[in-house]
Amino acid sequence: MDLPLWRSQVRFGMKNWVSRWTCFGLFLLLFSCQLKSRNANAPIEITLSGWQSNPNESKLLASVINDFEIKHPNIKVKREVINSQYMDVIKTRLIGDVAPDVFYLEAFEAPMLMKSGVLEPLNAYITPSYDLADFEPSLLTAFQQNGKLYGVPKDFSTLALFYNTTAFQNAKLAQPPKTWAELTQHAKQLTVDTNRDGKPDRYGMGIAPELPRQLFMIQAFGGRLTDHNNYASFATPNAVKGLQLLVDQYRRDRTVAQPSDVGANSNSEAFGQGKIAMAIEGAWAIPYLKETFPDLKFAIAEVPTLNGKKGTMAFTVAYVMNRQSKHKDAAWKLIEFLTSKDGMKSWATEGLALPSRQSVAAALKYDRDPLYAPLATGATYATIWQSGETLPTVMTSFDNQFISALLGQQPLKDAMKKAQDTANREIYWSN
Amino acid sequence: MTLKSEFLKRRNIQEALSGYLFMTPTLIVLGIFLVLPVLYAIVLAFHSVNLLGEVSYRFTGLKNFMRIQGDERVAIALKNTMQYVAIVVPIQTLLALGLALALNAKIKGRSLFRVAFFLPTVTSSAVLTLIFMWIYNSNGLLNNVLSFFSLPTYNWLGDPEVALRGIMIMNIWATAPLFMVIYLAALQDVPESLYEAASIDGATGWGKFWCITLPFLRPVTFFIVVMGIIGTFQLFDQSYIFSNGSGGPNNATLTIVLLIYQYAFKNLDMGYALALTLVLALVIMTVTIIQRQFFGEERLD
Repeated sequence: MDLPLWRSQVRFGMKNWVSRWTCFGLFLLLFSCQLKSRNANAPIEITLSGWQSNPNESKLLASVINDFEIKHPNIKVKREVINSQYMDVIKTRLIGDVAPDVFYLEAFEAPMLMKSGVLEPLNAYITPSYDLADFEPSLLTAFQQNGKLYGVPKDFSTLALFYNTTAFQNAKLAQPPKTWAELTQHAKQLTVDTNRDGKPDRYGMGIAPELPRQLFMIQAFGGRLTDHNNYASFATPNAVKGLQLLVDQYRRDRTVAQPSDVGANSNSEAFGQGKIAMAIEGAWAIPYLKETFPDLKFAIAEVPTLNGKKGTMAFTVAYVMNRQSKHKDAAWKLIEFLTSKDGMKSWATEGLALPSRQSVAAALKYDRDPLYAPLATGATYATIWQSGETLPTVMTSFDNQFISALLGQQPLKDAMKKAQDTANREIYWSN
Repeated sequence: MTLKSEFLKRRNIQEALSGYLFMTPTLIVLGIFLVLPVLYAIVLAFHSVNLLGEVSYRFTGLKNFMRIQGDERVAIALKNTMQYVAIVVPIQTLLALGLALALNAKIKGRSLFRVAFFLPTVTSSAVLTLIFMWIYNSNGLLNNVLSFFSLPTYNWLGDPEVALRGIMIMNIWATAPLFMVIYLAALQDVPESLYEAASIDGATGWGKFWCITLPFLRPVTFFIVVMGIIGTFQLFDQSYIFSNGSGGPNNATLTIVLLIYQYAFKNLDMGYALALTLVLALVIMTVTIIQRQFFGEERLD
């Protein structure tokens, strides 16, 4: 050992320094391990994504979720509101494996997602006490494929005829129209041009020139939207017949208007502003009209019969579970809670939609409420807004051509032929 | 002699190496986020891609490109976009030049005007579109003004005949000021001595404008027209907000980029969307090359 003392000291010091850091590292490691083991009991977080129609709805949902978190203290629910281009966002997230655990799904988008296998089948989770039979059967069917259930309908709404009772009184009309012929007649009487500038200040009825609202018009005379291979098939004379009634009202009678014709964003807004006297709308319009236009006097009747038959549309939304979810049991617990009899009851009082459980609908007496009864009755004969996975393509094509027929750019028959061909070409190529 | 050249060569290599070393971070970032996606896009354009659920790629050769031929929405989108470019680019260039000349003149409150003219450009296009949708409302400002002067009024948002015009007006108004600023900067660079010499030779105001100002602005004009064409070909956000993503009414506001978006994210038909993207790139390149011929080989420097 002829090393100078100071050198060995330095070396010792270094060793010491190294060992000290090693100790510190080990300590950190142990500590973090401990943290981790403690984390096992920490609440797990699941995400619930959906859209929001109004602040009240949001508040109600928050309180239901709060009840859920009290009942299940180890589950935390993170809510996420996606209001714009909801399905685009959800699909992109599903692709990127960052989709929420539980999310809303509209019936018409369901076939595609069910087919691609990104949704968790729920059959295995459902217990007898959950009472699945209580749900409106046609709504459940919308989320079933090959005997598997992929979603639990949270609520639904049909369409019904909203009419402005003040306008009806002024036009000396006592009753809402029962048939489409009466409706056409009423619309003429309700169209008024007070300042005589040639442009009506109030139209008889509003029209939403979109397939979701018009599908029952296609079916009224025996037309069919798609064939059994999911190709479009609505260019038949029978399918065109119902739609032609609307085009005639718009072009020949000039008694119906689109929202943009009267400077409104939607039919319910135009109806609230008194620019149209009748509108075919759903339950969601009721809270909106009451809140935004408290002075408006309106009543609701069933959609008038077409070709002697009753018909309307039904829209439903379900809670579905992401197949990639890491907390499937917790996710099911949330779905179960939200769609249980109690959960649905506290949620459905808002009146934006009708509860999908028959027992809840009966308990809340929706079938005896004068405003909601026509909507509730509609459920028995409504067409659910759903078709095969090609529906989004069919819809885009239909909407484009129907509006051009409505505006008189081409006869309806030609427009529908073109829409059908365009849709089918696209379906053919994408297969 | 040979030794010296050898030495120089080695030094050159060394310099080049260290140069590349300095560029490495940028090269990596650009490679990953720019070159790789472009190459990937080209490759995927020849595939049928399924992303949702089971991810799968299937080579389909030229099928996606054959599909474009029969797709009437592509034809409509191309027509709309071409029409849009053909109307917007000349007007916005002329407007920008006019505004720049006006602001370059010695008028009072010049800087105030400059700020006022430039404001639309710094406003977000989403906000602008929403404001314009109010103006275009059937009972909105524009129709009120039109009816005040007894001009015909339109349903700007709902009528396919005029919906695209609405977006054109909006975009000209919003982008012209940006190009105005570029023109303005170029105008400051025109040497005063040239004008003086021209005046001595007896040139009129118009003569000076045609023979001095315009030729001097040629490279800038080239730049502005190219940028304008690229920008207008890529029109997306305004028509997206205008039509809520549908390109309606009756495909009147459907542009190529909106169509690509619809195929990619609504139909999840990535392969076909990418094939369309390549077509768009090709169209823009062709137009730029044609334009280069038109403006000559002049360069920006």
